[in-house]
Amino acid sequence: MDVDRTILIGRSLRSATYTVTEVDVNDFLGVVDEPEFVAFSNDSGLGDATATATEAARLAPPSFAPFVAVLGLLKTFDWQEDFLFDYRTGTAMFGEQSIQFHRPLRVGESVAITASISDVYEKQGKSRFDVIEVAFEITGGGEGDRLMSGQQSYILFK
Amino acid sequence: MTEAVSKPFFEDLEVGMRLPTVELGPMDRFDYIPIALILRDTNPLHLDRVYAQERGLPDVVQQGPLNQAYLYRYFTAWLHDPWDLVATKMRFAANVFPGDVLECGGEILELVEESDGGGLVNCAVWQRNQDGQTILKGEAKGRVPGR
Repeated sequence: MDVDRTILIGRSLRSATYTVTEVDVNDFLGVVDEPEFVAFSNDSGLGDATATATEAARLAPPSFAPFVAVLGLLKTFDWQEDFLFDYRTGTAMFGEQSIQFHRPLRVGESVAITASISDVYEKQGKSRFDVIEVAFEITGGGEGDRLMSGQQSYILFK
Repeated sequence: MTEAVSKPFFEDLEVGMRLPTVELGPMDRFDYIPIALILRDTNPLHLDRVYAQERGLPDVVQQGPLNQAYLYRYFTAWLHDPWDLVATKMRFAANVFPGDVLECGGEILELVEESDGGGLVNCAVWQRNQDGQTILKGEAKGRVPGR
């Protein structure tokens, strides 16, 4: 018998944090070459104060944003508990992702992710599947400091 | 069809203009290792060719966020400043495999002038493989300055 996941609509997911580390961004830039964003090292020979100021000002490229959204959101839910889905035996994939950008993402900053299930509906393609839409907001350290907001859908095959 | 050059000014843009296409690749399986580490996702589907082939796939599957990152880079490199990016909406349509060559393209859908002479440009964006199969499609919106 199919699970009725529409009962999940409106469910608040757990809050999570993610730190945009220098290591992750440097590894990313080693793959996705972004000429306007250079890899940074604390071994650059700069004085401590200069290095700290440079680090504080350094931005991650917007192309890193999908990684932050995916990683952050995966921390906000449990497949079984929140989506009523057995990840060991079922098949799931990412659906549509939409993001609004409110300010640039800085290397080194910790961001907070809040999310809730905004909609659940069934679709029929080659097979039947449920679409779970999760609305999210990613904020920085200060109050009202919005970085990104948007929606991510997950496709759960039946 | 007129092409909208990179780093454009708002006055020079028209709905229907194409963004210059860019070809990327071939995709390299060794790039999937650092991406797996960043994503904390060591799913063998992305790293183990035999495992992927046992599941009917021709090779390991490139991670979806990496496909997205290439399309983001394509669009934001067209803007004057990458962080002039305002919004994106993207949908996965097919998998990417090692050796694939990706083409990114776009077309202007909407222009909204702002009071400073610049404005917002909303574009359809897409990514296709060497066989013309759509990998990603969606929209990207950015801010473009006036002259």
